[in-house]
Amino acid sequence: MKRSHLLLAAAAAGALVLSGCSSASESASTSGTVNLLGPEDPATFAPVIEAFEADHPDITIEYTQVPFDQYSNTLQQRLGAEDDSIDVYAVDQPNLSQLAAQGFLEDLSDLEDEARAATSAAQFDINVYDGRMWALSIWNSTQMLFFNRDALAAAGVEAPSVAPAERWTWEQIVDAGRATQDAGMEYGLLFEQVEAYYQLQPLAESLGGGSGITGDEMLTVDVTDDGWQEAMDWYADTFESGLSPRGVGGFQTSPVFMDGDVTFFVGGPWDVGRFASDVDFDWGVAPMPYFEGGEVATPTGSWSWGINTASKNADAARKFLEFAALDAAGNLATTEATTIIPANSEAAAEYLPGLEALGGEHTVGVADLVTYEVENTAVARPVSVGYVQFESAMNRAFADIRNGSPVASRLDQATTQIEDAWSKLR
Amino acid sequence: MTIQSTRAGARDTRARTGSPGPRARRPLRQHPALIALAFLAPALVALIVLRLAPAAVALWDSLFRTSLLGGTQFVGAGNYLDLATNPDFQNAVGVTLLFTILINPLQVATAFLLAVLYTRRAAGSKLWRSLVILPIAVPPAVSAVIWSVIYRPDGLANAFLDLFGIPAQPFLTSPQQSLASIMVLLSWIGVGYWMMFLIAGINDIPGSYYEAASLDGASGWRQLWTITFPLVRRPLAFVLVADTVSNLLVFAPVQILTKGGPEGSTNLLMYDIFTRAYTLGDLNTAQAEVVILVLITIAIVAVQFRLLKSED
Amino acid sequence: MAMQLAGTRRTPRRWVMRAFTAFAAAVVGLAFLIPMWWSFVNSLRPGDETFSYLNPLSWQTFFTLTPTFENYAALFDTDLARAIGNSLFISLVTVIVGLAICATAAFGLAAFRFRGRGLMFSVIILSFLIPFDAIAIPLADMFRDWNLQNTFFGLILPGLGNGMAIFLLRTFFLAIPEELVEAARLDGLGWWGVFRRIYLPLSVPALIGAGLMLFLFQWQAYVWPLLMGTDRDHIVGPVALSNLQGQFAVDYGVLFAASMILILIPLAIILGFQRYFIQSVSTTGIK
Repeated sequence: MKRSHLLLAAAAAGALVLSGCSSASESASTSGTVNLLGPEDPATFAPVIEAFEADHPDITIEYTQVPFDQYSNTLQQRLGAEDDSIDVYAVDQPNLSQLAAQGFLEDLSDLEDEARAATSAAQFDINVYDGRMWALSIWNSTQMLFFNRDALAAAGVEAPSVAPAERWTWEQIVDAGRATQDAGMEYGLLFEQVEAYYQLQPLAESLGGGSGITGDEMLTVDVTDDGWQEAMDWYADTFESGLSPRGVGGFQTSPVFMDGDVTFFVGGPWDVGRFASDVDFDWGVAPMPYFEGGEVATPTGSWSWGINTASKNADAARKFLEFAALDAAGNLATTEATTIIPANSEAAAEYLPGLEALGGEHTVGVADLVTYEVENTAVARPVSVGYVQFESAMNRAFADIRNGSPVASRLDQATTQIEDAWSKLR
Repeated sequence: MTIQSTRAGARDTRARTGSPGPRARRPLRQHPALIALAFLAPALVALIVLRLAPAAVALWDSLFRTSLLGGTQFVGAGNYLDLATNPDFQNAVGVTLLFTILINPLQVATAFLLAVLYTRRAAGSKLWRSLVILPIAVPPAVSAVIWSVIYRPDGLANAFLDLFGIPAQPFLTSPQQSLASIMVLLSWIGVGYWMMFLIAGINDIPGSYYEAASLDGASGWRQLWTITFPLVRRPLAFVLVADTVSNLLVFAPVQILTKGGPEGSTNLLMYDIFTRAYTLGDLNTAQAEVVILVLITIAIVAVQFRLLKSED
Repeated sequence: MAMQLAGTRRTPRRWVMRAFTAFAAAVVGLAFLIPMWWSFVNSLRPGDETFSYLNPLSWQTFFTLTPTFENYAALFDTDLARAIGNSLFISLVTVIVGLAICATAAFGLAAFRFRGRGLMFSVIILSFLIPFDAIAIPLADMFRDWNLQNTFFGLILPGLGNGMAIFLLRTFFLAIPEELVEAARLDGLGWWGVFRRIYLPLSVPALIGAGLMLFLFQWQAYVWPLLMGTDRDHIVGPVALSNLQGQFAVDYGVLFAASMILILIPLAIILGFQRYFIQSVSTTGIK
């Protein structure tokens, strides 16, 4: 829809001339500069950029950070405008199919073999849409159950084990959590991302509810089946009963655990480092629970990187991308300044013992646990061009269910909202 | 005649007529339209290019539908008809109207009372009123964080209530209290700002008025209603309109604190527009919503202008 | 309103009123301060203690005996200093150019009667009824066509025309008596002179208000800079602030420290201009 713009440009030309300001300084991506866009702190990618530039003195990497909360939509706007000041950009994995469908990602299918060899099967599949590969996985993630060992001891409850074979059920968690509350704990259980699909999908998956999206095109909503209903009833009850606190959200959840106010906390690898340095009670790590009699399912997925189709320096961009994703040393460098699991299997094998060491005695066994979850229990978020709309509506539904909305009707409402949003996609 | 002396004289003239502004302006000589236009031109160009032109594009875009998978088609009023039957949108309009009706009189009245308070001579008055104005300068992302802590079930608000023996309130987690909680937050941000303009208005009132009234034995309260209130009518009108518009366009606290919930109780139109445009990527429908929001705003502002005029 | 009469009789009742006023002024001011004070105190605490003293209230909720400046020191490693410099530059240019544009326009509307004045006024009102964030997307498309992404010009331009500031200035300009203008005109003062030597000096508080309005528009701009593409050379304050919030965790100590620094400049402006807000009383309060 470019029409009327010409007219406007003419109208505005006057204003521009009046001002006499020049709009220069637009660095046409000449030979050797690759612009990388992502939501992380610049310090995070400094090591990988440094390592790459040492190997390729003719290529310079310029990193621009966009705040995480506005990352996807800023990306949408700028890619939609064929902004060539972005060469390589970080792709939140569930958004990959939409970005690929919109034509914002270079087809990287010729790298399929190397990519398959470099990472886990789940992490390879996540970058495939419509039979072609559009990005390379940089990071991976999983979720674990952190617990306050002191609180459990005070309530006379035996702490869970880190071994996947001795994984607790949610029923056990509720019982143990209540016991600690009786013994004086404020709360029994808290999810780090209380209102986010990423952490809550496994609840429904565990009860056979599926991801919530089905159909050949992956554009059919299905969040009202028994599995979803049961999972959400359970979730609603953790708040209704006072096991979990309402009204604490955003990034304020992990401080609740760190202040010693909650017994069980579902969090990610990034919490290991924080807890290790800031928590002053005895804590431990166990596998993410499942429902009794149900499947074991854990969250997974993180960031891939892809190349902008409007890039004017795609060859250099590709070199950088291959280094960061396929080269074990390069991929490892992306995690040097942060706590996240490298997607490259070789890099992960080297990285995880360090993560485990970070937590000292509290996190013995974490490396094996993460490896096990990534390979065996990880259930990725659905690959659908409508994921963004789906997630947005689901997150609002989770928030309402948490605050006491009737589960069945709220899931119906979410279904209608998602169908409505999707009707605009086609 | 120097400016200094005319100033004092002028104020006296106004004092005699007893009206804050001369409504009966006589047409001035020369070609006033041309001179006025010369003064207006830079602003008009800026506003037309930077506001009205993109708004026209938005209006045009609202008549189309763009599929994510490629292809744009003309749908005429299709997006508007979709919205009209969408229960979430109907709810958002309802919430927005309720919000507008409640928050604006409250904020303007508070701002006025505070302006009166802070124009009285009292120790430290200038410092205290700076503190009241200051919240407007707090970055929205941070004020939302602060208020999320205030409204937490175990947060500062409940801790204060507890001091008075009042049981803990759910605030943002309850559909009944969430909108009011957002209004309190917005008032904390905005009331001091609007107060500032009213202070400027009150300060323009010549002190001799009060002195005369005092000699006549009028009480402070009476002076407030017979002198201050009528003489700041025009700044008050500005504040009412500007505050109304600002409140209709607010969305950052909703985005960060409630995401429109619980149960859509804080789903203000502007937030709905923002999510639709930026998160859901449905720009065309979002633009249709913008058009509707602007129409609602025009209607409300027109009513306000009419009410203010008829009181003349 | 007795307070405005310096040197009139002091009855006990008046004294009580004055004490009450001072008390109310202080209580209200402090009430507005509490939320900010809380975040200020927490900017002096390590991030992991932010939520430690919420409930029940204790003196530690609002005070700390062991302030640390680590959070502020941590900001040296970020782009915040550069971002504040950029925001300041953008805001100041906007205030200077924007005030000139808005004040002349308000003068055009307030001092002249002409056919089409109502229309002009309607255009200006309409311009601020349009939500800027909602039209930012089409406007950003236009700016990209003009190659303005990642330029200061592209960041400054949208702040220049501000319908609400024009509306504000017009409101206060209308209060300036016509007799004054006519007298000045008879003395041979041109329209520009009337504007500069009568309207502007008589409207200092309104000009400050409009200036603050223009300033805050840019100082808090967030959505627009992101659309225009903030590379590291053009990063602005609110974006740098948001960049401090990681996707996995936020160090609230550092976040509050950064926001205190971002508040500092508007605070200085508000405090610094307070004396002009009294000025109009002292000049017009002559008997």
